[in-house]
Amino acid sequence: MANRFDVVVIGAGHNGLVAAAYLARAGRRVLVLEQRDAVGGIAVTEELIPGYRFSTCADAVSSYLAPEITRELGLSGCGLETIETDPVLLSPQPDGSCLRIWRDTSRTASEIERYSTADAARYPQFVDLMQRLTGMLRGLLEVTPPDIPEVTGLDLIGMRGLLGPLRKMGRKNIPELARVLPMPAADLLNEWFESGVVKGAIAASGVRAMTWGPREAGTAYLLLHRWACSDTGLFRCGSLLRGGAGKLTEALAEAARGAGVEIRTGASVAAIDQVAGAATGVTLQSGASIPAGTVVSGASPRTTFLELLDPTRLSAATVQHVRNIKYRGSSARVHLALSALPRFTGIAESELGASGHVQIAPTMDYLQRAYDHVKYGEMSERPYLDVSVPSVADDTLAPPGHHTMSIAVQYAPYHIEGGWNEDHRARLLDTVLATLGEYAPGAGDTVVDSHVLTPTDLEARFDLPEGNLHHGEMTLDQLLFMRPIPGSARYRAPVENVYLCGSGCHPGGVLTGLPGRNAARQILSGRP
Amino acid sequence: MSATSSAIGITTKYDAIVVGGGHNGLTTAAYLAKAGRKVLVLERRHILGGAAVSEEVYPGFTYTVCSYVVSLLRPEVIRELELAKHGLQIVPLTGAFTPMEDGNYIAFWPDAASTRDEIKRHSVRDADRYEEFHQLMFEMAYAVKPILGMVPPDLVSPSLRDLGTLRELSRHMKGLGRRKFHYLHKIMTMSAADFLAEFFETDVMKSAMSISGIIGTMLGPCSPGTAYVLLHHYMGELDGAFTAWGSQKGGTGGVSEALASAARSHGAETRCNAAVEQVIVKNGRAVGVALESGEEIFSKVVVSGCDPKVTFLKLLDHKDLPGELVESIKKFKFRGSSGKVNLALDGLPDFTAAPDPTYLHGIGMVEIAPSLAYMERAYDEAKYGGFSSRPYMDVVVPTVVDPSMAPPGKHVMSIFVQYANYELADSTWEDERENFGDAVVDTLAEFAPNLKDLILHRQVLSPWDIEKEFALTTGNIFQGELTLDQLFFLRPAAGWAQHRTPIRNYYQCGSGTHPGGGITGGPGRLAALEILRRTS
Repeated sequence: MANRFDVVVIGAGHNGLVAAAYLARAGRRVLVLEQRDAVGGIAVTEELIPGYRFSTCADAVSSYLAPEITRELGLSGCGLETIETDPVLLSPQPDGSCLRIWRDTSRTASEIERYSTADAARYPQFVDLMQRLTGMLRGLLEVTPPDIPEVTGLDLIGMRGLLGPLRKMGRKNIPELARVLPMPAADLLNEWFESGVVKGAIAASGVRAMTWGPREAGTAYLLLHRWACSDTGLFRCGSLLRGGAGKLTEALAEAARGAGVEIRTGASVAAIDQVAGAATGVTLQSGASIPAGTVVSGASPRTTFLELLDPTRLSAATVQHVRNIKYRGSSARVHLALSALPRFTGIAESELGASGHVQIAPTMDYLQRAYDHVKYGEMSERPYLDVSVPSVADDTLAPPGHHTMSIAVQYAPYHIEGGWNEDHRARLLDTVLATLGEYAPGAGDTVVDSHVLTPTDLEARFDLPEGNLHHGEMTLDQLLFMRPIPGSARYRAPVENVYLCGSGCHPGGVLTGLPGRNAARQILSGRP
Repeated sequence: MSATSSAIGITTKYDAIVVGGGHNGLTTAAYLAKAGRKVLVLERRHILGGAAVSEEVYPGFTYTVCSYVVSLLRPEVIRELELAKHGLQIVPLTGAFTPMEDGNYIAFWPDAASTRDEIKRHSVRDADRYEEFHQLMFEMAYAVKPILGMVPPDLVSPSLRDLGTLRELSRHMKGLGRRKFHYLHKIMTMSAADFLAEFFETDVMKSAMSISGIIGTMLGPCSPGTAYVLLHHYMGELDGAFTAWGSQKGGTGGVSEALASAARSHGAETRCNAAVEQVIVKNGRAVGVALESGEEIFSKVVVSGCDPKVTFLKLLDHKDLPGELVESIKKFKFRGSSGKVNLALDGLPDFTAAPDPTYLHGIGMVEIAPSLAYMERAYDEAKYGGFSSRPYMDVVVPTVVDPSMAPPGKHVMSIFVQYANYELADSTWEDERENFGDAVVDTLAEFAPNLKDLILHRQVLSPWDIEKEFALTTGNIFQGELTLDQLFFLRPAAGWAQHRTPIRNYYQCGSGTHPGGGITGGPGRLAALEILRRTS
């Protein structure tokens, strides 16, 4: 009997949808199975508080999505409405001043002038060098990781796309890239800047969704990774997605359906069926089985290997590698429904409206001290907050005059002493409101209601092991040929016909869609 | 004065002048002299050895003032320079003891069975995996050994030889196979704590094993990058040269003396109290050195055993160097993180965690590293510009295996202490030195209450003192941190990792060059081979 589907994709997150769309466009009959009632994975917009809609997990930015995906899948016709923001970042200070990062480098430099003349002079040079280095890195994100140390000629041909960016970067900068990537973001920024304010504003992008402080080696990589994926030519994106993060995956779903993909929600996969070491389809929790020649999992590596594939049929080394993957999320999300627009000291209402993003990370040491607590199983006393107030530019989210605020909070470790309980949850909200109050006095009084998501909540709701937003920490030991585990970095699981397409694979998280695109290309190529 | 000196025309007296009589400078000198070159070693202090010295600071007691264990010395250096003939005599330390805060302890013994039994008291699983871990670290040490013996390629403007090195390197990596290569990648990038957690479940094992990962580094065991430092310290256990950490008879100064003796036996001259002020550069070439005394000595080649900051920024005029190199050297991270406390003792202290008072009397090493949290708190306290009030301590009592270092019945205790930030946020080391010494003694007395009654004399060296005394920038014992961004072809700077400098005939041979710090002799040997190759 011929299968109705060539390919079953597990999970309708952004990467699953991207992979599905590419495979369908190449003529495959594709079915996407999503366990939740709506598509989107972590990129969803939900009415968490009656009358208020929030980007529950991922922020409402579309601009990390690889532009080639937007182009190739024709997303522009799928209802994506992006609001460009400028300044891309507002970093208020305890002294009432505020550092603004503008799209325009020289405009930012003159802002920096207030904190350090030397830093203002160096900022444009820094941006220029980083743009050169990240151009090369960007190329690397789009290739299938080579099987180091067994690199073949085919791998090298696959990497020929890197020649352009390499030439642009300049040979002289090869050792510089090699030097910078394994560094702590703090060391890199210390080489360039003297002001803790400037360093804090930039360093935050190196630790966002990472359980490390800026002094930990490898955070320079994450900083450059975000830089390589952003639409501003800077270390963070400058856009807001009208309607919230869910609009991104709705558009991807529409593009996928347009290419012939069938999507079923409320369909939870219990297992990947195997016969003689090869996948033959999947079995749902309901007991129904769906045969397919190829199974592509957008689920986390832990779920894919240890739950969907039978670990007793995997090699001991594979299982050990999977168990050793570091997740340990430490980001929580706090959503607030507000009866009025919050007023941040030093930030005009119009500026907040133009940006929508406020970062509470006044200095680099502040970030480091916030992290130090994690080592002892504590949450930060004064956390790093990435605050977005999307309702200032998007009137679809809150009742008239009211606002929504979504706060990414670090650090709130998954492995908190004693485990997450109601006390911890209450303390987290108190800490966030107290910290917020220092920069936006009175904001707490306008809170209509709140919705707190701890790392354990994120784990339960979104198949994010230990609440890690990236399906595995993006640390140097878990990148490229090591991601998600050695031997499966080329999107192929150690079971015939099973592929991986989630952000647990190269190049990792940050809503680029590249793991899905790379996986689809690899599946279609038929290469090992 | 200088005119007269050069007028006398001693230009051709020496083939090479080595600036700094540390172990690497002496190693270079010995290799050059052995190859027939006329060599002069100039040492600032009154004694040869650099950081590897033994001094009678207190009458009758020999302190290994700075560095204190020697198991890292490269076997090829020992062999090729016939150091045993020149007095090198390593006395193995018989065990290491780590008391815990709850009164329990863990000990490591030279024989595997005893260690296994000991670990079993804490976890059977950990005892089982200890062997596996040990085996893996040996494999890893073998995997990096050829790289440590390799002159790093210049990736900025690669020559044919560099391309050859790259080919050799990729062939070597391929030869390792996937499993070993992947582990090597993990070791290069992970924290010691995370790497150890892949093997061990008990906190005390992770803590006791992580210490080699943080020595000489301003990082905690949970900081990524420390797994490599762990491996770096494993290198000493290769080749069966030593089965455990060893102590040189008469202190680490004995290593330097053996190296000096080897150098002299081949005709090298050594001069103490001869501080070099500057390298004399004429038309882009080094032609000799000017001493602080005003004396000038000329030679065909000048080799600096000093750290990169001294080598490039102090001994040379910045104008003679490319701006990019000056920038790179300024960026090179030192961040001195350690201090040293040396004690003369009236007898051996009793550690309360020891099962019986005499248990420790045969043990030369005590590690105050009771838990990972303890270590991290020690690091956190220091990293913003302070020192640990309850520090990590590597305590060595060399007199239990080498009584010659103290009068009969008496002992010397060498305490290597972390963390002590070179840059204090609100004070100076002159003001804090003795407070730091008190913190060390107080903390150690928590574990051995009778220690304070036994102290006859105490010497405290803060990182600031180490810098001043041994000319080690910020007191960093490795002449620059051993982090991934400062290793191999990046040590000390891209394009200048081949022991050369932009000044012709001026070379570098210190720990700030590949393969890095520790009493290994590795940089000294590689530098000598480079010099011989380039100036034959």
